[in-house]
Amino acid sequence: MGCCCTKQRVDQKDPAVLASQTYFNLSEIEALYDLFKKLSSSIIDDGVISKEEFQLGLFGSSEKRSLFADRVFELFDSKNNGVIEFGEFVQALSVFHPAAPQTQKADFAFRLYDICQRGFIQRHEVREMILALLNESNLVLSHEIIEVIIDKTFEEADSKGDGRIDPEEWQEFVARNPSLLLRNMTIPYLKDLTTQFHSFKLTSGIEDCTSRSSTSPEKDNILELKDNFNGVSIN
Amino acid sequence: MDNKATILMQKYEVGHFLGQGNFAKVYHARNLKTGQSVAIKVFNKESVIKVGMKEQLKREISLMRLVRHPNIVQLHEVMASKTKIYFAMEMVKGGELFYKVSRGRLREDVARKYFQQLIDAVGHCHSRGVCHRDLKPENLLVDENGDLKVTDFGLSALVESRENDGLLHTICGTPAYVAPEVIKKKGYDGAKADIWSCGVILFVLLAGFLPFNDKNLMQMYKKIIKADFKFPHWFSSDVKMLLYRILDPNPKTRIGIAKIVQSRWFRKGYVQLEAFQLPPLSPRNAKDISDVQAAFASSSDSDSDGSPMSNKEDSPMKLYRFNAFDLISISSGFDLSGLFEDNQNGRQLARFTTRKPPSTIVSMLEEIAQIDGRFKILKKNGVVRLEEYKAGINGQLTIDAEIFEVTSSFHVVEVTKIAGNTLEYWKFWDQYLKPSLNEMVWVWQRYEQQQ
Repeated sequence: MGCCCTKQRVDQKDPAVLASQTYFNLSEIEALYDLFKKLSSSIIDDGVISKEEFQLGLFGSSEKRSLFADRVFELFDSKNNGVIEFGEFVQALSVFHPAAPQTQKADFAFRLYDICQRGFIQRHEVREMILALLNESNLVLSHEIIEVIIDKTFEEADSKGDGRIDPEEWQEFVARNPSLLLRNMTIPYLKDLTTQFHSFKLTSGIEDCTSRSSTSPEKDNILELKDNFNGVSIN
Repeated sequence: MDNKATILMQKYEVGHFLGQGNFAKVYHARNLKTGQSVAIKVFNKESVIKVGMKEQLKREISLMRLVRHPNIVQLHEVMASKTKIYFAMEMVKGGELFYKVSRGRLREDVARKYFQQLIDAVGHCHSRGVCHRDLKPENLLVDENGDLKVTDFGLSALVESRENDGLLHTICGTPAYVAPEVIKKKGYDGAKADIWSCGVILFVLLAGFLPFNDKNLMQMYKKIIKADFKFPHWFSSDVKMLLYRILDPNPKTRIGIAKIVQSRWFRKGYVQLEAFQLPPLSPRNAKDISDVQAAFASSSDSDSDGSPMSNKEDSPMKLYRFNAFDLISISSGFDLSGLFEDNQNGRQLARFTTRKPPSTIVSMLEEIAQIDGRFKILKKNGVVRLEEYKAGINGQLTIDAEIFEVTSSFHVVEVTKIAGNTLEYWKFWDQYLKPSLNEMVWVWQRYEQQQ
C-alpha cells in the first residue's frame, strides 16, 4: 500500500483514562484500538466509524440494513454526531464485558429496545421489533400469534399494569430470566483480548509490514507492541 | 403431545423457570381450570424426609394452607410425586423488596409501611404456631399495589433439613439476619428469632446496609452475638429506641410483637387490620388440607404415580417459553460478536426455527446418538445433551441442543458444542447433525461453519 497517511484522530481519549472508566485494562484498550482502526478505515480512513463501516463489520456487507443494528449504532454513538469515536467505542463495549454487572447490561438492553426513546418500552415498539425480526429472517408469524406473544410478555414484565415497561419493571423482569434476556449483552471474547492479541496481530501483520507509519507520541505503545511482533517474526 | 409436556398433575400448565429459591426451583404456571397464574415451588423429597422433621413440616404446611392474610403469599395447593413435592403459591407480580433496597435506603415513611405489614404478617402466623425462621428481604415480595407479601412461611423446615450440608447451612437462614441464639445452637424459640430478623430488616430498609457485616464469617457472628452495631446519623430517636429493643441479644428480654405494635414509631399511620377468621391451632376441616395429607402420606409409599416433572427417563420436556424480547434478541443485528472476526473462543452455535414438535427433534437426536453407540443422551429442562462415552485427547465431545417454545407450533432450537475438540465437532456436524436437522429446519437463523 505504500505509506499510510497519518490519521487525524478526532477527540481521542487517553487510554489510561479509558482503562479507569471501563472494565478493560491498558493492554486490552490497545488491542481494541487495532480493531477500531480496522473498522474505521474499512470504507473511509477518517479515524471514526460510520454507520456503513459498522454494518460492514457486523454483517460483512455495508448495504444490509437492520433496525437492530441501527439501534446498537445509536447507543454506541453517545455524542449523537453520526459517527463512533474511539472513546465512545470502548465505553460502549465495556457494557458487553463479562465482568460488567447484570444491571448495567439490562439498562443498555432497555435503551436498545426503547426505540422511541421515551424512557419506557411500549407495545408498538415491541411489535415493530418483532416484525423487523420476521422480515430480516424470512419468518412468517400471523398477526394473532404476534399479539399473543406480546400479551404474554407484557403480562410478565408490566408489573404495574400501565401498558408499558419502565426501567424498574425491566430490571425486575430481567432478574427473573437473565441468561436469555441478556444473551447478546456479553461477548466472552472481550475477556481474552490480550491472550488473543498475537493472533489478532497476525491477521494484520502482513499489512503492517508493508506500511510505514510516521511515529507519533500517541502511537508509542502500539509501536512498541509491533516491534515485539517483528522481533518474533525474525526468529 | 405438546400440551402433555408441560402439564403438572393434570392441573397446571407449567411455564418458564422463575428462579432458584431456598433450595427449591420456582416456575411460573397457570391453573388449567381457573386460568389463575401461580408460582410452583419444587423440592426434592429426600430433603424433606428426615427423622422428626416430617410431622413438623406437615403441621406447619397444613396451617399455611388455611391462612388468608393480605401480606402473606397464599399457599394454594400441595402436590407430590414419588420423588418431588410441589407447592402452588400465589403469584406476586411486583418483585422482591431486596431489589428496592439494593438501590439505596428507603424513606422513613416507606420503610415504616413495609415494616408494619411485615409485623402484621409475622404476628398473624406466630399466633397460629407457624414461624418463618428465614426472614430476609429476598423473602419479602412487593405486589403490584406496592404492598408487602411474605413468602415461604412454613417452608423453612425444609431449610433445616439441610443441616449437614456445610457451615453456611448449619445456621438457619441467611447469616446476616439470624438471631444470636440461633448462632449459639443451643435450641431457640422460632418466634423470637423471627423478631430479631425483622429488626435487621428494618435496619436495612432505613440504612441501606446491614447492621452486622464482616467479610470474615466468625467476626460477623461475634458482632451478632454481642449486638455490636451502630446507628447511622439519620435514624430518628424513636426508631432507635425500637431497634434497641428488637435487636436485644437476649431473647428473654427482647421485645415481642404486641409491644412493637404499641411503640410510638410503629403506630404512626398504622391501620390495624380487621381480625381474620381463622381456624384453631388444630385444623378440623380435613377436606381443605387433604392435599397436604396426601402429599406427605405418599412419601412412605413406593407405588405413587409418577408426575410429568419426575426424574424418570421418559418424562416429557419442560421447555422455556420465549417472550417477545427473547425472540427479538435472536436478530443478528443485536449480536456484536461478528465484529470480532478472530473469535475462536466463542460458542459453536447453530440456531434454527422449526414447526416440528419437540418430540420429533428429540427422537432424531436420540437416533444420531446411537450411531456407533458413540454418545450418551441426557435430557433436562428443554436441553438434550449428547455426551461422548470415550474421552478423546482433547476431552469428551459434548453437544447441547436446547429447544425453546415460541408458540405451541413454532420452536427455536440452538445447538452448541460445549466441550471437546472443535474439528471433531465440525466433522460430526457435517456428517450427521446438519443433514438430519435440515429435515426439521424452517429457517436457519445462525449457522457457523469452520472454513
